[in-house]
Amino acid sequence: MKLKYLVAGTLGAALLSTTAMAQMERGRDGNANIIYWQAASTLNPYLSGGTKDIDAASMVLEPLAHYDENGNMVPTLVDEIPTVANGGVSADLTSITWKLSEGLKWSDGTPVTSADVVFTANYCMDETGGCQQSAKFGGVKSVEALDDLTVKITFDGPKPFPYGPFVGATTPILQAAQFANCMGTAAPTCTEQNFGPIGTGPFTVTEFRANDTISLAANPNYRDPSKPAFATLTFKGGGDAAAAARSVLETGEFDYAWNLQLAPEVLADMEAKGQGTVLSGFGPLVERLMINLTDPDPKWGDERSTVAHPHPFMTDPAVRQALSMAIDRPLLVEIGYGKAGKVTCNVLPSPAIYDSPNNAGCEVQDIAGANALLDEAGWVRGADGVREKDGVRLSILYQTSTNAVRQDFQALIKQWWAEIGVETELKNIDAAVFFGGDQSSPDTFQKLYADVEMYANNFDGTDPEAYMGNWQCSEIPSPDNAWLGGNMPRYCNPDYDKLVKEMAGTADINERARLAIAMNDMLMQSYTIIPLVHRGNVAARSNTLEGVKLNVWDSDLWNVADWSRAK
Amino acid sequence: MLDAPKKPLVRVENLKMHFPIFRGVLKRQVGAVKAVDGISFDVFEGETLGLVGESGCGKSTVGRCVLRLYEVTGGSITIDGTDIATLSGADLRAKRPEMQMIFQDPQASLNPRMTVGSIISEPLDEHEHMTRDEKRAKVGELMDAVGLARRFADRYPHEFSGGQRQRIGIARALALNPKFIVCDEPIAALDVSIQAQVVNLLEDLQEKFGLTYLFISHDLSMVRHLATRVAVMYLGRLVELGDAETLYMAPRHPYTQALLSAVPNPDPAQAGHIERIILEGDVPSPANPPPGCTFSTRCPRAQAVCKQDSPAWREIGEGHFAACHFIE
Amino acid sequence: MLNFTLRRLMFTIPTLLLISFIIFLILDLAPNDPTGNLPLTIPPEVRAQIRTSLGLDEPMYWRYLLWCKQFFINEPLNLLNQWFGWCIGDCENRLRVTSFLTRSPVVDLIAERMPQTLWVVGMSYVVGVLIALPIGVISAYKQYSWFDQFGTLIAMIGFSVPTFFTGVLMIVIFSVMIPQDSMFWLPSIYDTTLKVVDWPSFVQQMRQMAMPVMVLALFNAAHISRFMRASMLDNLSQDYVRTARAKGLKEKTVLLVHVLRNSMIPVVTVIALGIPQVFGGAIITEQIFKVNGLGQLLIIGIQNSDIPLVQTLTFLFAVLIVIFNLVADVLYGLLDPRIRYD
Ligand SMILES: Nc1ncnc2c1ncn2[C@@H]1O[C@H](COP(=O)(O)OP(=O)(O)OP(=O)(O)O)[C@@H](O)[C@H]1O
Ligand code: SF4
Ligand SMILES: [Mg+2]
Repeated sequence: MKLKYLVAGTLGAALLSTTAMAQMERGRDGNANIIYWQAASTLNPYLSGGTKDIDAASMVLEPLAHYDENGNMVPTLVDEIPTVANGGVSADLTSITWKLSEGLKWSDGTPVTSADVVFTANYCMDETGGCQQSAKFGGVKSVEALDDLTVKITFDGPKPFPYGPFVGATTPILQAAQFANCMGTAAPTCTEQNFGPIGTGPFTVTEFRANDTISLAANPNYRDPSKPAFATLTFKGGGDAAAAARSVLETGEFDYAWNLQLAPEVLADMEAKGQGTVLSGFGPLVERLMINLTDPDPKWGDERSTVAHPHPFMTDPAVRQALSMAIDRPLLVEIGYGKAGKVTCNVLPSPAIYDSPNNAGCEVQDIAGANALLDEAGWVRGADGVREKDGVRLSILYQTSTNAVRQDFQALIKQWWAEIGVETELKNIDAAVFFGGDQSSPDTFQKLYADVEMYANNFDGTDPEAYMGNWQCSEIPSPDNAWLGGNMPRYCNPDYDKLVKEMAGTADINERARLAIAMNDMLMQSYTIIPLVHRGNVAARSNTLEGVKLNVWDSDLWNVADWSRAK
Repeated sequence: MLDAPKKPLVRVENLKMHFPIFRGVLKRQVGAVKAVDGISFDVFEGETLGLVGESGCGKSTVGRCVLRLYEVTGGSITIDGTDIATLSGADLRAKRPEMQMIFQDPQASLNPRMTVGSIISEPLDEHEHMTRDEKRAKVGELMDAVGLARRFADRYPHEFSGGQRQRIGIARALALNPKFIVCDEPIAALDVSIQAQVVNLLEDLQEKFGLTYLFISHDLSMVRHLATRVAVMYLGRLVELGDAETLYMAPRHPYTQALLSAVPNPDPAQAGHIERIILEGDVPSPANPPPGCTFSTRCPRAQAVCKQDSPAWREIGEGHFAACHFIE
Repeated sequence: MLNFTLRRLMFTIPTLLLISFIIFLILDLAPNDPTGNLPLTIPPEVRAQIRTSLGLDEPMYWRYLLWCKQFFINEPLNLLNQWFGWCIGDCENRLRVTSFLTRSPVVDLIAERMPQTLWVVGMSYVVGVLIALPIGVISAYKQYSWFDQFGTLIAMIGFSVPTFFTGVLMIVIFSVMIPQDSMFWLPSIYDTTLKVVDWPSFVQQMRQMAMPVMVLALFNAAHISRFMRASMLDNLSQDYVRTARAKGLKEKTVLLVHVLRNSMIPVVTVIALGIPQVFGGAIITEQIFKVNGLGQLLIIGIQNSDIPLVQTLTFLFAVLIVIFNLVADVLYGLLDPRIRYD
């Protein structure tokens, strides 16, 4: 009798434990479908700057550390993030030492070593390879392996934020053995490697169809034996955002859709079908107006829009401030972005610690105030209602890229500016040309042959140092530097440059935040950059998919290992 | 000529052919072209009935109706005792071998993708049970009969001259040993020099095979030469029909008179008799013919009654018919 | 005919070379930049490096000659190597035409997409033709009947309603409104990885092809049925048709042997001339249903200034167009005994 119970008991326990095991088994949830309406072209993020490619690769290749959904660094292939405090970052801020976790394996079963990290750095830093992430390795003097698991990155000067290389999905670790013959000019010839990299991530590539579909399977050597929950995963590309949203929210064919930049009401309608959920997250992307402080008049020939000729009226702060005051930002958010936008009065609105509290007030449109300001500054309305002073008319050429929302914004802003006596001519340029950087085209956003231009920009990762560095004097695009540089307004302020330098020497995060906020405030309070909308990312997930955390600081698929099917 | 009791091979009674007119987006029928509007005549065995009239008066339509190449709107067509106006399907096809047609445009009437041999032998496949050799022999005979070299059998129609093509057309019409052949302006598209050859061929064949012709033409001299009797058509109706000689010598209907006045008379003695009559105005549209006598808009002798009452088709002499209020 | 074909083929070589050069010139002059679509966070120096690594610093004529060498010499040699295992020259490191965007050989990309394009666009062409021919024939034979009116209406819809409308409409009906467990539900997204190995996967393939094929077939059928109808009408009123009837042939024989055969001559040419479009893919329809065939490849190439890809694809289309023009001419000569080229 006793024995019987005992047997039954152990059997029961065994049964229980196997079901528990089954639940936590790798690959228990079958297949998941992800749709990116831009298809992935390669799985080597060093050869592509496209988000779609980086995201796709992030399921296979991993960096040393990730950013989580709040913008905090989390260890991935290491046990802890090196800091000055734990001795991982040298006191003089010139080097950082990463220590790989023990026992990590590539999907082919071979061990991950510091040699792989060193190789990856050399791979990207080879100038002939056309590495698209080489900016991340800016200032890196050397990357060396101290032992099998330890890598030391030395910079050519103090690097207060030494987390450029190997943090975030853009700079994952490649397997040295696989890519050994792909250095430099050989990089593009390694199709097989680029299409099927061996990684440490939760999935491995079974089939890669460029610009179309990637089939993936769970990595048998993934470090967490209970993950990923999905045995296979299909990453489909192509179509358009609306179709991608429909396939998740309406037809339920897909589990996750990326970057759904759609009219707000369209998304709301689709979500109402009850198949899926719309997610949004806010990174540092800000739609802004850039004021040209130099004169774009064609009469200056080669010196057009260069510091040689200050702008006839944009140099007057009252004009710039009035232009900003006349804008109804909540309305722009509502018609243009809905859930995917927020009003912002800062060009640096996130991560939260960098968001300046000092510029509130721009939310409210103030036409009367703007008019008063211009009156006071001596800008008098002429017969046609356009203000002028000393023969200078407030007549603006306002350019942006071709895009329905941007053209709506242009039309609205033109109308508001007309109310304050400013005449506006609108121009829109094909995005490939506008952002293309073709030296021979007069229509690039860098040349800025206009008085105002509008576009959105952001930065990778969480550290705004490089981003805020864009507005130093040295970053002004001009014929001398082949129109390179991010300082579109041609803003030049020694005090600002001083803050940039100071930040470059500061490691303490709170101090860095203070400096970034100060820089942001200088730009905002001089109305050189006029922020309009803080834009977010929108994605959709099926209601049966669990574990998704939309992350604007890293790949959308950063935690795909944790995704699972709702029971 | 008049002695033997004449037996009609073809009898047409009150034949009507109205083509519907479609207009508008939905292509609804809005009217009809009265191409043939109630005509009656006989064709006697072994004779050639000439059918003349201005272009567009409906001659070809009559010819095609008589052979039932159209679904006729009304009337009867009796060929060799059978009314074919209402026949259809297999019954009609069975009747086809008896009646054939020779077309005006020999090029258009021959399927460009078929060789001469297959054009001629195709009806044999359909109606006769012949072996290949028999067929080949028959084709050869027919080609001999129309004066074409047998070796041309494998050529395509476009490789021939106009006259040769018309011979092919004739050969294929003869293939099934028809009794009755409608010749729709068989020479109009040919060179003058070849016209005579083809006409002679037709005459020879008529004699040889005892054929009956309905010969459509607007060449009045040719019709006079060829036809036993002649029918004159105006705007979908017959206006006069009679013995060729009588009709040419003494036309009774004002339209016939006008038509013949334009023909140079071969008999100089008669030449002075007929003055040239020039008709005024245009032929009215068959879609909208004038009321009363259809000729009344142009007739030099028209009276008020002509505009109201349609003249009856009457026998005005021995085998001589006409439709006019003012002929006794 | 053979002489004619050979002569024409010889003439096509300089023509195609010229075309390839013109395409190259146009692509080169286009104000576009392969790095233009990269995120703004990539600094300009890096962009310059990328451009150099893509060979864009070389002069235009040099890049053209390089493409010619890669396309006309290296690619065929590579094919020989792949198909027959023949190795001529250095077959390991031969430089092939390489896409900027994917950094992989363009010809492989094209080959990878051929199946779905041929399945979907090719099938839609076949279905379109199969629908169009009977509709055209019956419409002409029964001109102005309700069938003809209906055919005209369908053709008008096919002509004038763009495929992006019919496509989305079908998706809304068959993928959204019809519940997924119904047998009439159709997938809105084409799975290019599906391999037909057994009956269920075949059914699956048919289902996923159904919508794009119907959308395109409607469009193709509209064109071709109009051609067929016009050509039939032309022929129906010809004397030779009367001759055939007078011969006492069955109506079916008259219609199918005499009228249809002659009417097919121009239609066959039109169909042949339309075949290159099949390979060109159907850009919009492919995009709507995510078929990701050649059309989508081309559009991605254009959007990303992937010059080698666009150049090669466009050139291949040009080759097909030239070839099918020749095919159409030869067919015409074969079908119509009145035409002789020699
Ligand atoms: N299929 C048809 N549909 C409509 N109208 C037709 C058709 N065939 C002939 N018609 C019309 O019927 C009338 C008579 O035509 P038909 O061809 O019989 O004239 P015709 O006397 O033979 O002329 P021609 O001497 O020029 O050959 C013309 O007005 C013509 O337009
Ligand atoms: S009936 Fe009258 S109109 Fe007609 S032909 Fe005789 S006279 Fe002329
Ligand atoms: Mg006629």
